[in-house]
Amino acid sequence: MARFRPAVTADDGDTYTISLGPNERDLIRSVAEQLKELLVETDGPVLRRLFPPPYGDDDERNEGYAALARPELIENRLASLDVVIGSAEATTLDEDSMAAWMRSINDVRLVLGTVLDITDDSEEVEVDDSNVATYQAYEVLGMLLETIVAARSSRL
Amino acid sequence: MSTPAPIDVVEPDVSDLVDLDTPWVVLVWNDPINLMSYVTFVLQKLFGYSKEEATTLMLQVHHDGKAVVSTGSRTEAERDVFRLHEHGLWATMQQD
Repeated sequence: MARFRPAVTADDGDTYTISLGPNERDLIRSVAEQLKELLVETDGPVLRRLFPPPYGDDDERNEGYAALARPELIENRLASLDVVIGSAEATTLDEDSMAAWMRSINDVRLVLGTVLDITDDSEEVEVDDSNVATYQAYEVLGMLLETIVAARSSRL
Repeated sequence: MSTPAPIDVVEPDVSDLVDLDTPWVVLVWNDPINLMSYVTFVLQKLFGYSKEEATTLMLQVHHDGKAVVSTGSRTEAERDVFRLHEHGLWATMQQD
């Protein structure tokens, strides 16, 4: 009988084993490269979930926070995405690289979920020809993120 | 012994000090994209909560729409908000 093997497993040491096929690795590299472009080139509403305003309706304080935090948040996100792109073919990852994968894949899901207009816990996404590829990527990355979180949680 | 001359005591305006002493709370808000397991893990990792504590907070976010995850000075709250934003959680702060 076949046994289900998670895509990401915590090793006995302090590394993780990544068991992904070429299609999944291509997807991960591709979405990471696309998010990098978005972060560098745009300031659009599709990125709004990555930079929440922390002070509610207080525009002045929100702008003050954004002026300081946003460049650093962008820089950290780009650094994580570079780790992902550079290790997309890796079969073993250390803790820091695994953490970068986790944050970046979550960031990509936030953007894809925004594009898919997922705004309600209970509402089903209407999938048609125009968004099926985006929805599939969102789902695949969600499953991968679950296994990364499970593997990292086992180390806490 | 001399008797001190009476002096006018000007009451300091303490409203600013009171303001400084009032703690800020950091809130995490529900969103339909972040995975429940991910939110639980991030709360454990960033704040040192046990699995049970983090799960309770995550469920509070899920069912009530929000939960207080930390309290402190404005500087401490901004630092926590920043770390939550780094991890893609919808975090805000307010003075309670």
